[in-house]
Amino acid sequence: MSLIDTTRAKFRNPMRAQKKADRMRERMENDLPRSMRPKPIAKILTVIILVVALIYFLFPIYWAIVASTKSPAQLTGSNGLWFAVPLNELPDAIAANYATLLGWTRDSFWRWVGNSLLYSGLSAVIGTVVSVMAGYATAKFRFRGKGVTIGVIMAAMLMPAALLTIPQYAIFNSLHLDNTMLAVIIPCCVSPFGFFLGRVYAQSSVPNELLEAARIDGAGEARIFFTIVLRLLAPAMVTIFLFMFVATWNNFLLPLMMLSSEDLYPVTLGLYGMVSLAVFNDRGALMMGALLGVLPVIILFLTLQRFWRAGLAAGSVKG
Amino acid sequence: MATVISSATPTKPGVLVRATEGETGATKGKRTKGRLSPAARREERTGWLFMLPFVLLFLLVFIVPILYAVYSSFFQQVATGGGAYGGGEIVNRFVGLENFKYVITSGTFWAGMGRVLLYTLIQVPIMIISALALAMLLDSLIVKHVAGFRLGYFLPYAIPGVIASIIWVYLYNGQISPIVKGLAALGINVDFFASNVVLASMVNITTWTFTGYNMLIFLSALQAIPHELYEAARIDGANGWQVATKIKLPNVRGAALLAMLLSIVGTIQLFNEPQVMQTADPAISSSYTPMMMAFNTSRGFLTPKGDGPANAIAIVMAIIAGLLAMIYAFAERKVNES
Amino acid sequence: MKWNKGLMTGAAAVAAACMALSGCGGASSSGGASGGSSAGGKVEITYIHRLPDKSGMTSVEQIVSRWNKEHPDIHVKAIHFNGNASDLIKKLETDVKAGNAPDLAQAGYSEIPELFTKGILEDVTSEAEQYKGDFAEGPFDNMSIGGKTFGLPQDTGPLVYYYNKTEFDKLGIAVPKTQGELIASAKKAAAQGKYIMSFQADEAGNMLTGLAGASRPWYTVEGDAWKVDTQTAGSKAVAKVYQQLLDDKSATTNPRWDPSFDASLQKGELIGTIGAAWEAPLLMDSMADKGKGDWRVAQIGDWFDNGEKTGPDGGSGVVALKGIKHKAEAMQFLDWFNTQIDDLTSQGLVVAATTGTAKTPASWSEFYGGQDVMAEFAAANANLAGFSYIPGFSAVGTAMKEKAADVAEGKAKTGSIFDAAQTASVDTLKDYGLSVAQ
Repeated sequence: MSLIDTTRAKFRNPMRAQKKADRMRERMENDLPRSMRPKPIAKILTVIILVVALIYFLFPIYWAIVASTKSPAQLTGSNGLWFAVPLNELPDAIAANYATLLGWTRDSFWRWVGNSLLYSGLSAVIGTVVSVMAGYATAKFRFRGKGVTIGVIMAAMLMPAALLTIPQYAIFNSLHLDNTMLAVIIPCCVSPFGFFLGRVYAQSSVPNELLEAARIDGAGEARIFFTIVLRLLAPAMVTIFLFMFVATWNNFLLPLMMLSSEDLYPVTLGLYGMVSLAVFNDRGALMMGALLGVLPVIILFLTLQRFWRAGLAAGSVKG
Repeated sequence: MATVISSATPTKPGVLVRATEGETGATKGKRTKGRLSPAARREERTGWLFMLPFVLLFLLVFIVPILYAVYSSFFQQVATGGGAYGGGEIVNRFVGLENFKYVITSGTFWAGMGRVLLYTLIQVPIMIISALALAMLLDSLIVKHVAGFRLGYFLPYAIPGVIASIIWVYLYNGQISPIVKGLAALGINVDFFASNVVLASMVNITTWTFTGYNMLIFLSALQAIPHELYEAARIDGANGWQVATKIKLPNVRGAALLAMLLSIVGTIQLFNEPQVMQTADPAISSSYTPMMMAFNTSRGFLTPKGDGPANAIAIVMAIIAGLLAMIYAFAERKVNES
Repeated sequence: MKWNKGLMTGAAAVAAACMALSGCGGASSSGGASGGSSAGGKVEITYIHRLPDKSGMTSVEQIVSRWNKEHPDIHVKAIHFNGNASDLIKKLETDVKAGNAPDLAQAGYSEIPELFTKGILEDVTSEAEQYKGDFAEGPFDNMSIGGKTFGLPQDTGPLVYYYNKTEFDKLGIAVPKTQGELIASAKKAAAQGKYIMSFQADEAGNMLTGLAGASRPWYTVEGDAWKVDTQTAGSKAVAKVYQQLLDDKSATTNPRWDPSFDASLQKGELIGTIGAAWEAPLLMDSMADKGKGDWRVAQIGDWFDNGEKTGPDGGSGVVALKGIKHKAEAMQFLDWFNTQIDDLTSQGLVVAATTGTAKTPASWSEFYGGQDVMAEFAAANANLAGFSYIPGFSAVGTAMKEKAADVAEGKAKTGSIFDAAQTASVDTLKDYGLSVAQ
């Protein structure tokens, strides 16, 4: 059984399958045979391990929240685990650091967050559509050169993407496109991984019979794709969209190479610009920037949670 | 027990790249050698039209830059006009294999490569094993509120690598960090920036960011295991440990091996963590990792400088990464066969 | 064909969006297309800088708006760059190539030769010459290469000695006059857990070069070839003194820009350090009001076999970039801007202008025990040795910094920092295809 087969099987109806599995599990929990039921000691150990891991993953975020309310002197001088001022003075401390943050960034902070949203959103939308189109083409059509094309794209998936950034910069520079929004958006809309997912999804959730029927009805290929196929692939597209969105949001080297105008910075680069200044010491304000800067991604993840979790199961692959 | 084992066929990620064709195509007409039927020609045209946007972008973003990188790696940028300061213009001079000779014979490059390989060797197994362990524990139905744990573990992934690195740099700092201060109060003095610790400090940042993500993939794979397998195990009287090792592990093996492969490719290009840590620790050199070396070469902080030598570094790195991926795939197939 | 219109319209829409985005990017790129006189003969000049502009300072915006009010015909637009010096250089290179660079840009003296070699500077000799008398000679010379001038100097960075007089008095020591005194006093202080010197790995490229360069320049031009000697008597003395201090454990090794450096000041462990003149307000920040009134500024003694001379650490000017449209007007503005002594002083600069005397800001004299700090800096400026840099000096700085980090960890000796500087200097020149005399 190949990976593609298994993922295809898993993906046929991700959300329903997930729910069904959850229900089954809950039922099973109650009627496990004695031999399979965990011993009390194992149970305690498991809980301890899971809770310790939870602390490990959440502590830095908790610390960043606390730190974001502190002045430079409080950061070194006060208890790192708790706020430096009484809770009722907290709003003032937050306001002070917020003002410092806007001061350092010369009021560009929200512009940077907006840029990040624009870059990530646009490149993910374009990237998702072209990936799904290409994936659909390789899954459902025969054409010469297909095997080679798939091979090349798959090989590109194993290519360390950062290595391409330097020549990409040279190319965009010679096209006079460096230091424009396109210099970030275009490279981010191409994802071999997105293509791979698009292909897997198209193979698994677009029945050939449906295509045949549509063709017999006289529908054109474009119409079939945009009205039938895209609808079938909708949940899959959300997953690809999120992967590409996060990849662009997190990309640092590309904007670092491509952009030199502050107006165009994404939030990661803007915050890095603050840290890279030797004289910078308002670290609390920076933490506030870091937290405010990741808020949109977290919100996106939470709201679209059920989609991407289903997609993960299908992909079972790292982006 | 036998039924359980045989039905849990391990998946082979090696098959990933091989195109397993499931399409029926728009036409059923068989392709005759040389000439295509009109229907097949139409199918071919439609297929390529759907491919076109992706292929064009792919050419612009992958193929052209790769070709350009190869071309430019034969050049160096030098000043024109002679004189002590040159004539105020930079031109490209063909230097043959000079840049590659520089990279291959550069002790700094191989030291960086060594660091990255060591980093990969430590980081990838730690991350994959802990992700797997956490996924299996969460899947064991022992704890309630699985969703809460799942989200908590996953949250760091939403934080961009640069910002995660900044947060951890502060948590490593002796003046700021409650961790360092707390340990010092217990009489344990740790210096996260000490030259023999700093690599481990970077390992921790990457592990913190990506473990939850991998855990989620494994958890999804575990939850997709057909219920019948457990049913069969129960009938066979298997215990919890047997279920874990004979059913669960084989079923996430494919996902784990693939995650491992992609993590290896990812760690070769280590850049964000050392680049940010450098702002706090001058001992992290500008060529600490090959990727930093390439970046700083293109920026002119290292000599020889410019795009030519930088691209030569990138090409040598890509070749090494490709070789590693091949060795990994080969070794994995061998293991599967035996 | 049924395939079709949908897709084609889609493609067209994408193409249009692309154009809009790239256009938008181009237009909003700071700097924009430079200048061009518009209808009423009005001239537009863009000026990019990375001055601190923190609260409490007279902002560049404020200074420039005063100019704009007085000179309705020459309108200046100031752009602040968020990021470090090397990122700004990178931006300027890109912008000049793309043809949308600002007219004027801040550049460190050590960066100007490289900017020239890369071909992004514009010769403004005939427009700048008339303002020569407004600036100190050394900095003015740093703005020219091979007899051509490329802009006007703004500030200087003479190295001075900062110390906590109260603590010194308690220890019964004074600012050392000689090398021997320095080492002895440092030892005496260290015995009490106090340090009167700091070895700053991250600043090695700038500070050690300045200290060593005070005795004799490293780089000279003979004919058309560079003569590189980073192993001068001054370099050897700097290496010897710091090695002695490190061996005696009588200097701190915290990097300058790490919180541990600030902490060593706040805890009162570090009570004396060499620093550039522009560090005066930064040290006040670092100490966060601790030791207020106790600190003083003094000249560096004869510690490094360089007599009464001190060396440069930083300092920058404003250069004209290739493609500048209105050279004469730009220089007229620049001469005015760079001689706004009080405003620039508020930004923490020790100005290169000699048209007036800089007054010590009140908060500074409060911190430095009522001392006329600016007068002390002026004295240091007068003692500043001339030092010219080579194209590609940033690579030399990197090499020195990395060696210095090894030294701080005890893995190398201080002398190796200057060995690294020699190798990197020769290599970087050769890589540019410039000739080096053996």
